Amino acid sequence: MTTIDPVLVEVMGSALSSIVEEMGETLVRAAYSSNIKERRDCTAGLFDAAGHMVAQAEQASPIHLGSLIGVVAAVLERFPAEDIRPGDTFLSNDPYSGGGSHLPDMVLVTPIHVDGRLTAWAANLAHHADFGDRGHAHIYQEGVRIPPVRLARDGEIVEDVFALVLTNCQVPSERRADFRAQLAANRLAVTRYGELAARYGRATMIETAAALLDYTERRTRAVIAEVPDGTYDFTDRFDCPELDEELELRVRVTVAGDELHFDFAGNPGQVRASVNMVWTALYATVYYAVKTLVDPDIPSNAGLHRPIRIDAPSGSIVNCVEPAAVNGRTETCQRVVDLIHGALAPAVPDRVTAAANGANTGVHFSGHDTRTGRYFVYLETIGGGSGARAAKDGLDGVQVHVTNTSNLPVEALESEYPLLVEAYELVADSGGAGRTRGGMGIRRTVRVEEQDVQFWLDTSRQRSRPWGLFGGGPGASARVELSEGARPLSHGHTILQPGDRVSIITAGAGGYGDPAGRDPSDVERDLREGVISAERAAHDYPDQTPPAR
Amino acid sequence: MTLRIGVDTGGTFTDIVVYDEATGAVHVRKVSSTPADPGLAIVEGVESALEQIGGRGMGEVSYFAHGTTVGTNALLTHRGARTGVITTRGFRDLLELGRGRRPDLYDLQADKAVPFAARDLRLEVTERVRHDGRVEIALDEQEVRAAAKTLREHEVEAVAVCFLYSFLRPEHEQRAGEILAEELPGAHISLSSRVLPEFREFERLSTVVTNAYVGPVVARYLERLRGRLAERGLTAVPHVTQSNGGILPFQAAEAMPVRVVLSGPSTGVVGAAGICAGAGHPDIITFDMGGTSSDISLVQNGVPKVTTGMELDGRPIRTPMLDIHTVGAGGGSLAHVDAGGHLKVGPASAGADPGPACYGKGSEATVTDANVVLHTLNPAHLLDGRMAIDEQAARAAVGRVAERVGLGVEEAAEGILRVVTANMARAIRVISVQRGYDPRDYTLVPFGGAGPLHASRLARELGMRTVLVPPTPGAQSALGLLMTDVRADFSRTRIQPFREDSARRLGALYEELDGEARDWFEQEGVEAAERSVLRTAELRYAGQNYEIPVPVPDGPITEETVLAVLTAFAAEHRRLYGYDAPGDPVEAVTLRLQATGSVPRAELPREEAAGPDAAASLIGTRAMHVPELGGYVEVPVHRREAMRPGNRLEGPAVIEQMDTTTVLLPGDRLTVDAHSNLVIAIGGAQ
Repeated sequence: MTTIDPVLVEVMGSALSSIVEEMGETLVRAAYSSNIKERRDCTAGLFDAAGHMVAQAEQASPIHLGSLIGVVAAVLERFPAEDIRPGDTFLSNDPYSGGGSHLPDMVLVTPIHVDGRLTAWAANLAHHADFGDRGHAHIYQEGVRIPPVRLARDGEIVEDVFALVLTNCQVPSERRADFRAQLAANRLAVTRYGELAARYGRATMIETAAALLDYTERRTRAVIAEVPDGTYDFTDRFDCPELDEELELRVRVTVAGDELHFDFAGNPGQVRASVNMVWTALYATVYYAVKTLVDPDIPSNAGLHRPIRIDAPSGSIVNCVEPAAVNGRTETCQRVVDLIHGALAPAVPDRVTAAANGANTGVHFSGHDTRTGRYFVYLETIGGGSGARAAKDGLDGVQVHVTNTSNLPVEALESEYPLLVEAYELVADSGGAGRTRGGMGIRRTVRVEEQDVQFWLDTSRQRSRPWGLFGGGPGASARVELSEGARPLSHGHTILQPGDRVSIITAGAGGYGDPAGRDPSDVERDLREGVISAERAAHDYPDQTPPAR
Repeated sequence: MTLRIGVDTGGTFTDIVVYDEATGAVHVRKVSSTPADPGLAIVEGVESALEQIGGRGMGEVSYFAHGTTVGTNALLTHRGARTGVITTRGFRDLLELGRGRRPDLYDLQADKAVPFAARDLRLEVTERVRHDGRVEIALDEQEVRAAAKTLREHEVEAVAVCFLYSFLRPEHEQRAGEILAEELPGAHISLSSRVLPEFREFERLSTVVTNAYVGPVVARYLERLRGRLAERGLTAVPHVTQSNGGILPFQAAEAMPVRVVLSGPSTGVVGAAGICAGAGHPDIITFDMGGTSSDISLVQNGVPKVTTGMELDGRPIRTPMLDIHTVGAGGGSLAHVDAGGHLKVGPASAGADPGPACYGKGSEATVTDANVVLHTLNPAHLLDGRMAIDEQAARAAVGRVAERVGLGVEEAAEGILRVVTANMARAIRVISVQRGYDPRDYTLVPFGGAGPLHASRLARELGMRTVLVPPTPGAQSALGLLMTDVRADFSRTRIQPFREDSARRLGALYEELDGEARDWFEQEGVEAAERSVLRTAELRYAGQNYEIPVPVPDGPITEETVLAVLTAFAAEHRRLYGYDAPGDPVEAVTLRLQATGSVPRAELPREEAAGPDAAASLIGTRAMHVPELGGYVEVPVHRREAMRPGNRLEGPAVIEQMDTTTVLLPGDRLTVDAHSNLVIAIGGAQ
């Protein structure tokens, strides 16, 4: 434990947060691809010399932490320290040798030297919407694997490496521009960090970074200590379009004093599908869940990780090994968060939520755009219901848990891709009944225009329903509707033809508490606003529903 | 006809500034606000101010400008009109879905903002326009009529219409507007193609709904005030400040109320820009610190930076406005110790009730209490003795915080100030460093009740060299109203290549905007000599989605103009992101034209210069805590009103005036300039 002035640590925390926020904004504003510039599917962070995260931009999806956790260590393992110089930037996306959690997340990490010595690292990640129309039996089908390689030396791009990467991408012009934006974000961090170091000195920068982690650890332990000790188990069913069978996922959480232990023993083995999680994804998911349950304002840095122990069998779906495919890992991540909330519901009933929509519904449209003659990949993840809370309804139609990307405006989408959005709306009767109601799912209807388009749907909760808590009812399942004559989906895939229409309907979320306890005025409002139908109201809330007129 | 009046309504006080064109005299009057009916305090305050300066009449007033928070308050307190919405079929939920993100990444108890129109008042009609402006499905007018009937049955007072691509092809919205006007006489109708003819449907929808929601409230308020002022004999056309810092007549604002949503804070910035440009400080960062929050903005070359919009509780409002960043750091911000043992300040505030512990009602430590403990604030009374201060209560409150962090009371009070300073510095970095401006090149201009108290510390934190405290920091906004111009913004979104051969097309679009501006000038009665227009093009590399505004020189648009603008764009891209992309095609998204009618400026009085000796203003000494000097030391206390141009002071020292206190730290050197501004050279700055 350091003895540094705590006020200076707080001041430095503010300054470092400014830097990561500015990195994130620069990335979004300078990028060319919709997934980054509009959907903000990216993040930025600062690390200490050894690779412990000191600050992360809050705009990001929590799963992105997973892609950043291991990357500095992987670079340090591969490159001798004396070979890491100012002006270097390393690129990596490989979950098994780099630190990413799936291949589209391209991580750029840049060393920051002060007084000629390695002092910190700037890293940013952007989800490049590329690698379209791939297989997911194993990772070699999912895109190009990039272990940590040097993308820039002395501030200049290493062209042969860059060419190798771009040649393996389907939309190289967009990739080139996005990488340029990523390089700009890290360069900016090097400048800003340098300005701070010029003022405070290298030693203070290092000491305050260490103190920031200690502080976060203290704060985390203090709130864990308030959670009743005990062992808490939970199991849930898991499905995805790629798998013919349902799986049973489980967790055992042990709270002991100011520490938490997560045991994932007994989970199924890794599958020949994209929904496997590498350890970094599992860690990021658990850290996220802990933050939501103990204190949402705890800074995002490595101090949070210290009181948490995670065990998961190697080769299981939650801790897969090479060559398991991982592209759709967030489906599983979302379920792991639900498991943890479900397990700890008896311990912290006021902080947990009922099951959310349980998926990170990804829709991928790809093909050749006859308007431009170029290949396109349109990726969108669609939110759904968020779980009901002890005192409040769940949120309707939002990104939940490990993701929080923005949607693509229809007016941007249709200008860029040969697609038409016919509806984007909330789904009535999809929120689980309860004293507080589960959030509603979303329906997004897309029509294909002038050519055949490859369609791939990545989702979950098509076969089960998001559970309620303490007597609350389940939310509605996810489903897909196709226009007449369209070719049905097989394991999530199909080819849509001109004029075909697909409606992606995401799951609602679970309710909380006995529906009999719901305030009649809330039932009346939901009825008036078409959130629930008269039939559902009569069924779920017989005592609060006025007789039909 | 020689008097000009500026009136700014705040939560606590209504400030009235009267400027006599004949003598150059400025008279400031502060009266208590009347929140239930803000016009009451205005009319009575103006009358009493006129009375005070020798019984002048309302008929002598040639200019009347007003900054109001009526629009902002209606939004914040959710007291707007009952509003209906009509959208393209399939999109009534867009207002709730927004951009799909949840409000907080980790706080699962956080809620989305309640939409300004309830779901059962959001109706859909059949129509569809494509991204290239082609009509795919014609507007079903019968459905519009049916929707109007439903909304009438629900007794809505305002309706917002937003169809996809209406920024390209407004005809469907215009026709819907006509039908609504027939079916719903008296309702406030807002069309997205008129309020914000720009790309991105959710942002446009949110803006037009906001316009509809505050419309009837703002219109009623301004209409009533206009009547009252006319009754009392005002013959000049009353104007109100817009969020963009310019003013427009009440009647114009009644039609486009979304433009006055940030009326209040923008006037202070305009006033500061005017005062400082006159004093030889054209590049400033303004810092308006009040009880619960601080508003921060950047002024370059005398011109406040503008932005195209903001978010209010997650609801985008896109309208040209001054780029004002608000941070929850004010005199009433509460200090607390978190579970990790760190001292935190704000954003929670003690507000006006109970207020800081030293005001006698509260018991929790605030920033103000820390200042009382350190004697940077007068530990006995404030507001010229009108308000008693309980120093013991402040010490007790700060003492409780001190115990939890294991510090002495003074150390904890210093800690509170350091933390709140860091929070404010972070906010200043957002509008400076993060926009590519180095704060060290700017003068810090503090106003509001608490600004001058913290300015020296804040300047040090950011490496800023100069602080300028204007003469009446507490009535800055009202004074600003005497220095603002009439202004309107016109825009066209047409996503198109921006290259040499597009000169003719661009020229034609600017010609259209020019025409609109000319009509507006005519309508406003702006003389030819007072007219000016400023053109900007919002550009990006084809493929990007965030645009950079670049000025377009006056005159016809030629190939040379285009090349010059492209060069400026590349330079701006380098400044912001550190690189440009030569050879990548550039496209224009929105072309803008800002029309300004200049209003003759109030020339602020110059005072007779006195020598450097400030002894005449010395009113005593007090023991102020100065950590660099090892604890409490006796420092001189001066009376601001008695200081004269040319006077000099060195820190540590305190300067008190009715509504604020300026603190000089060791090494600071102060000079009073010809306009009675306090200009402080910060100690230790290079």
